Amino acid sequence: MITILTDALTIAAKDLRNEFKTKQTFSMMAIFAVLVILVFSFAFDPTNNAVKAVIPGLVWVITIFAGILGLNRSFTSELENDCLTGLRSGPIDATSIYLGKVLANFTIVTLVQIISIPVLFILFNYRFTGSYFWFILILFAGTLGFIIVGTFLSALSANAKNSEMLLPVLLLPLLSPLMIAAVQAMRAALENENLENAVSWLQLMSAYDLLFFAACLLLFEFIMEGS
Amino acid sequence: MIKINNSGPIDRVLFYILVPAFLINLYLIFVWSPVEKVMGDVQKIFYFHVGSAWVAFLAFCVVGFYSVLTLIKPKMERFIYAGISAEIGVLFTTLALLTGMIWGRASWNTWWTWEPRLITTLILWFIYVAYLFVRKMEGSWEKIAKLSSVFGIIGVINVPIVFMATRWWNTKLHPVVFGEGKDQTGGGMEPEMLATMFFSIFTITVLYVFLLRKGAQIEKMREVIKKAKTNIINKIAS
Amino acid sequence: MTYLLMGYSVIFALIAGYMMILGKRQKQIEKEIKQLEEWNQEI
Repeated sequence: MITILTDALTIAAKDLRNEFKTKQTFSMMAIFAVLVILVFSFAFDPTNNAVKAVIPGLVWVITIFAGILGLNRSFTSELENDCLTGLRSGPIDATSIYLGKVLANFTIVTLVQIISIPVLFILFNYRFTGSYFWFILILFAGTLGFIIVGTFLSALSANAKNSEMLLPVLLLPLLSPLMIAAVQAMRAALENENLENAVSWLQLMSAYDLLFFAACLLLFEFIMEGS
Repeated sequence: MIKINNSGPIDRVLFYILVPAFLINLYLIFVWSPVEKVMGDVQKIFYFHVGSAWVAFLAFCVVGFYSVLTLIKPKMERFIYAGISAEIGVLFTTLALLTGMIWGRASWNTWWTWEPRLITTLILWFIYVAYLFVRKMEGSWEKIAKLSSVFGIIGVINVPIVFMATRWWNTKLHPVVFGEGKDQTGGGMEPEMLATMFFSIFTITVLYVFLLRKGAQIEKMREVIKKAKTNIINKIAS
Repeated sequence: MTYLLMGYSVIFALIAGYMMILGKRQKQIEKEIKQLEEWNQEI
């Protein structure tokens, strides 16, 4: 059990070190997230007061769009020089590969969020009045669920030639319940009105996270065997 | 050398049940069952709509079932059944969605409402299509069998959560506009209508089983032919 | 009434369409079997 965790940490550290050396994926994701915000500011006039209503949705749209960009690279980058084969033939459990990848992806996406969400608030002139605690908790739960399912499907779609196109098609329908819950919870937390509402949505999100975490952890072995 | 028509007695029995059942079903729907007072004739779409939706979910459960079996022990047959079931599932999900939309247009004047059952069916459709995309991957069938089964299982887990989330979403945001739900079956249905509905569900389920077996046979034949072809090529080469 | 007609024509069109796809696959397979038998005779 502990070896699985330490192996996972090693893999995550490897990925992150790799990432911080080049900063390629990270900077691309951040720029892309800001670009998405820009496009949305053309679509919804930011000077309009009604635009406040779309902020909770936008937070998740930029997270998912930028996140998919990073997830695409997560396993396909391991295909170069047959690194994935190396990982698999090493004396590590398949689950620790999965856990390590989840950790690395989660860190990168969180960093992107730390840049992109303030940019979103600034560009849309949004005054934050909600509670920070709930905001961050909901962001955490939603992003975690997204990364749990996303990393799993990224490993699955890396086997296909057109993995960049396959991943969103596989991922988005599976994310839909999480996104419904996340947007609703975020709205309740940002408008600071009905925290009970936010809590019940948060419960649904945590149930989703736990369920899919267990399922992905169990099934990841088959993906590694199959690829 | 190779049997072309390998449909067994079960398929023949299914076929001889299916044809009269279909005709009786049409008779029941269009002639026997009473016309609904509020919605009029349009309500008759309902029978096939419910049947298709039921088969859509049934087919998905079958995909999940064969996916689990494939993971336990990969066998060509299981893999084929999961694939054909998904194909037929797409067909019936599309039918359920389209008939639902037409009915909605006729009775509430909108093609689409964000109603939990409708959203769940739509997302089910997307998961089916994604599943078929996974199966279109290139590579050995063992590899695809594993990957697609994994995706099938994850998809099956997802469907009830989608339903829960969407229902919750609707009741918290909007008041429920259309009575109990979309098909308004809550209590106010006459016994003839109920009987017709169950008969159409039965007929469409038989149709599903028939198509499933037929499709699986064809796919199995294709595999047999592939093997025979490589055999012959090897013979010629040697 | 028109909606009813529309609904049932969609239903039958799609079911018939899928059956046609299955029939096409079957024909393809029959063709391949014939070819295989020809090859078998040649050997």
